[in-house]
Amino acid sequence: MATSPPSTHSVGVSVPRTDGTAKVTGSARYIDDLPGMPGEIFGRTLRSTVPRGVLRGIRLDPSFDWSDVTVVEARDIPVNAILMISEEQPVLAEGKILHAYEPVALIACPDRLKLDRAARAITLDIEPLPAILDIDTALAGKDVIWGEDNVFKRYLITKGRGDAEGRAASEAGIDAALAACDVVVSGRYETHHQEQLYIEPQGFVAFWDDAGVHVTGSLQCPYYVHKVLKRALDLSSERVHVTQAVTGGGFGGKEEYPSIIALHAALLARKSRRPVRMIYDRTEDIEATTKRHPAIVEITTGCDRDGTLRALKARILMDGGAYMTLTPVVLSRGTLHAAGAYRWQDAFIESVAVATNTPPNGAFRGFGAPQTIWAIERHMDRIARAIGKDPVALRAQNLLRSGDTTATGQTLGLSVGGHACLEAALAESGYHEKRAAGPAVNGRVARGIGASVFMHGAGFTGSGERMLKGKVAIDLLPGGRLQIRTASTDIGQGTETVFRQIAADAAGIPVTHVDFAVPSTTVVPDSGPTVASRTVMVVGAIVEGASREIAERVLAEQAAGGGSFTEAGDRLLSREREVSCLKVYEPPSFIQWDDTTYKGDAYPCFAWACDIAEVEVDLDTFEVTVKNFWSATDVGKAIHPVMCKGQIEGGTLQAIGWALCEEVVWKEGLIKNPRMTNYIIPTSLDAPPFHTTLIEEPWPYGPGGGAKGIGELPMDGGAPALAAAIEHATGLIADSLPMTPERLHTLARTA
Amino acid sequence: MSVSDLRLFEMRRPADLPDVCAVLAERVSRSEPTVLLAGGTDWLVEQETRPAFAKEAALPLVLDVSRLPALRGITLDGDRLRIGAAATYLDMRRDPAVLARAPMLERMGRDIGAIQIQARGTLGGNLATASPAADGVTALAAYDATLVVHSVRGERRIPFASLQTAYKRSTRAADEVIVAVEIDLPPAGSPWIWRKVGTRRAQSISKVALAGVAVREGDRLTRLGLGMASVAPVTALLSRVRTLATSRPLRDLTAADIDAAVDADVSPIDDIRSTRDYRAHCARSVVRAFLRDLGAPV
Ligand SMILES: Cc1cc2nc3c(=O)[nH]c(=O)nc-3n(C[C@H](O)[C@H](O)[C@H](O)COP(=O)(O)OP(=O)(O)OC[C@H]3O[C@@H](n4cnc5c(N)ncnc54)[C@H](O)[C@@H]3O)c2cc1C
Repeated sequence: MATSPPSTHSVGVSVPRTDGTAKVTGSARYIDDLPGMPGEIFGRTLRSTVPRGVLRGIRLDPSFDWSDVTVVEARDIPVNAILMISEEQPVLAEGKILHAYEPVALIACPDRLKLDRAARAITLDIEPLPAILDIDTALAGKDVIWGEDNVFKRYLITKGRGDAEGRAASEAGIDAALAACDVVVSGRYETHHQEQLYIEPQGFVAFWDDAGVHVTGSLQCPYYVHKVLKRALDLSSERVHVTQAVTGGGFGGKEEYPSIIALHAALLARKSRRPVRMIYDRTEDIEATTKRHPAIVEITTGCDRDGTLRALKARILMDGGAYMTLTPVVLSRGTLHAAGAYRWQDAFIESVAVATNTPPNGAFRGFGAPQTIWAIERHMDRIARAIGKDPVALRAQNLLRSGDTTATGQTLGLSVGGHACLEAALAESGYHEKRAAGPAVNGRVARGIGASVFMHGAGFTGSGERMLKGKVAIDLLPGGRLQIRTASTDIGQGTETVFRQIAADAAGIPVTHVDFAVPSTTVVPDSGPTVASRTVMVVGAIVEGASREIAERVLAEQAAGGGSFTEAGDRLLSREREVSCLKVYEPPSFIQWDDTTYKGDAYPCFAWACDIAEVEVDLDTFEVTVKNFWSATDVGKAIHPVMCKGQIEGGTLQAIGWALCEEVVWKEGLIKNPRMTNYIIPTSLDAPPFHTTLIEEPWPYGPGGGAKGIGELPMDGGAPALAAAIEHATGLIADSLPMTPERLHTLARTA
Repeated sequence: MSVSDLRLFEMRRPADLPDVCAVLAERVSRSEPTVLLAGGTDWLVEQETRPAFAKEAALPLVLDVSRLPALRGITLDGDRLRIGAAATYLDMRRDPAVLARAPMLERMGRDIGAIQIQARGTLGGNLATASPAADGVTALAAYDATLVVHSVRGERRIPFASLQTAYKRSTRAADEVIVAVEIDLPPAGSPWIWRKVGTRRAQSISKVALAGVAVREGDRLTRLGLGMASVAPVTALLSRVRTLATSRPLRDLTAADIDAAVDADVSPIDDIRSTRDYRAHCARSVVRAFLRDLGAPV
């Protein structure tokens, strides 16, 4: 392991993680490790057991002793609404039930065993209604559960001949463009739910005092929780205090839901006048919290006989679940990635997200892109098959380069590393030789290799960062130290270490001289959410800028009054009492985006990658073993190479799970496998040897010499690379996920 | 569930086997809840899924049998291997007699949960829980093992074939403690198979698992023991396959005959872990693969 250098050059060096010792030795305190507060009671949620119905009432068994049980119902909530994009999701159901596990009432009690009995002494009087459980039924619109047509959101991206006045003319245009092509290929691709399965379930502790409400818990985005609490509890900003506890993973799953559980705990604390602890067990966590949106993507493309891509027509359908939550943003990112990493003259990409009576789907690493990248990458393999061309050659021929324009008309300029990634991964893996040799069959086991190429927009979409105005503060502390105050949280991915490295180098001080304030809305400014591959690239850039400004003031003091950096800093502090810099993110001015036409610079830049999977398929049982996984990723600049590779390998393993074994089993709107023993994620033994290459095509506006966001990208390419490898090994063509042995067996039987 | 939700229980560590048998007999006769605890890897999981907080007159009594000398130890006496009910999978994996004479047990042990479970879990617990997915039971079925049980009435020996009666039910009485299993071993070097088709490579419950041991003389099988997990309400003994494969020279076995025998021996179902069709397909494939390895032209 590398050790922290005494020098001031920490960027690019894999310094020890600053949270590492505490986590490895067990001294880190996650929310349920925090000792109970005096008078603390335990809270619990009563949930609907049907996917849709009318809530007639809540009955408390009169023979039960309710004296020490607090019960919160909808009428106890100042504003019964969870404020995300819209306000339609109630904190507790009132009148109508729209999904199984929907919260209906909250209870709390000092005695956890009694709490369990109390839960059974309450009857939720729900009259079931027929439920809408899939996209097709929602689209058919016979029964309406949201708006006028069950549609949460639609987008349309048009380009070239697909771009005309209005949807109908645009569609006619793309159809004409397709008709003029040598080869037209159509396909339909499906993806399924995925549970984040962060190792630490959701949990919060809430209490009230003269300053207002305090909630501490496992979360990604302190200010999202702040906003939701403020609205539902009808409080002013200063009266809401949200603090992050050490957080055991999120992957997007702690983007929306912590607002809900924090609010539940706060409501129970408000009514009981006691501190309340709410910790989900694994089953409740899997059942109630958000998952990856299932999607159906239909694609028709036209190309020349030599494989030059011309026209793309795509239709994306996503299942948003019962409430809107963040679905429009997920759909947006999915739509913006549907064209893949390729050049198209003409494009028409439309997308629709619908409401169903299933728990709301939400943020999950990749945020809509893995679904559409699965589709376009599988479709590239289909085109290659149709024209008899090597799938990698087809990709190389059409892969975007600097100077090309994307489907939204964004002209790519700097830091466009697709080709470099492709070449590196091909060379490392020996792809061409293995592919040419054909599937290696040894007895009843066949080995194959397959590739995917993809890009992922880093940072918020379009004008997101401009509107958001993310902020950080850097303080000068005594002893020549700096403190970073940010709402960008470390949820296991290494934020606090990487930010320290960036600040240290910007200020010219050792990384051990930088502190990271506990993210609490009372002390840290709103840096925006910890999402969208934006932490290092966007927030890191202002950490760097603000640290440099503070250092410049100290250096000026040093020049004027002499002494060391520390002495000059201490002098400055004793004179000015407070030396801080609050910096607001300003995206590069050339980035222009039109939210109404969906044209322009969808993202400031993209991270690029090529994944190559080598698999063995047991021809008797269809078990797939991933033998090797190569990944070459253009990260701009690796601030911390070990953690950067860790993100790539971990994200890829999550993609392997999504592709091969993870599956939420549904029955009439209920989840049949809400446990770690039957929601199957890969174990370390299922993890293949990873061969990860970092390519650095610097993005000049990123920190540390050009870092780009790569948190989500590794989730995008694993599934299609595996599908291509399985196809190479067996000839089985999977267009739907997951590729479990059962499904491959069915494919083989029907092939 | 968290540890704070664990219901209260009383725990004792009896001094010896007669002590366990006596306490157990008395409590069972009074219908008082009593648990023998070996590795605890099944029992603890049951605590989470049990119907919560039924009103109980008395606290459940947990008797820790994991350290009873009578239940520990693995011994080889001639061709007879005796494995204590409280020996762990890891004990088995490391035992020289198992490695030399019953390598299938060692191989099976590697597929149990992961190393942490192997270090605690026991054959006694696996047999008592009697899940049709139990890997240890499946391996013992192939060896046609004999259960040695003890109660206040003394020792009783239960041949594997008369052990299982229905889903998680057996002919062992509620007051009988499993002391050991005994296996009449095939000659050293005899062919065997352990093939677990699970959900992943560790911490996995069998979708289908095949255990097999055989003794081959020329082109004939003189002994064939088989067990299969997760294809029936109890561990499948594949009796038709056994009869078929020992009734004629290996060269006369056909894939169609084998498949038909397997189909008649198993009755898989759809559940959250897998499907009926896939299980039936795997059952046929793994049996054919074993017989192919033994020399059948299939
Ligand atoms: C994470 C995990 C993974 C697992 N993976 C597998 C797997 O891959 N394959 C598999 O087959 N199983 C697996 N199991 C189940 C379990 O580990 C095995 O069934 C194990 O053999 C149980 O043994 P134990 O000693 O832990 O039983 P315990 O939990 O101690 O006892 C189980 C039951 O047996 C009874 N009992 C125990 N000893 C005796 C005795 N001597 N006489 C009479 N009754 C007795 C107990 O009263 C109790 O009812 C797994 C369990 C876990 C938690």
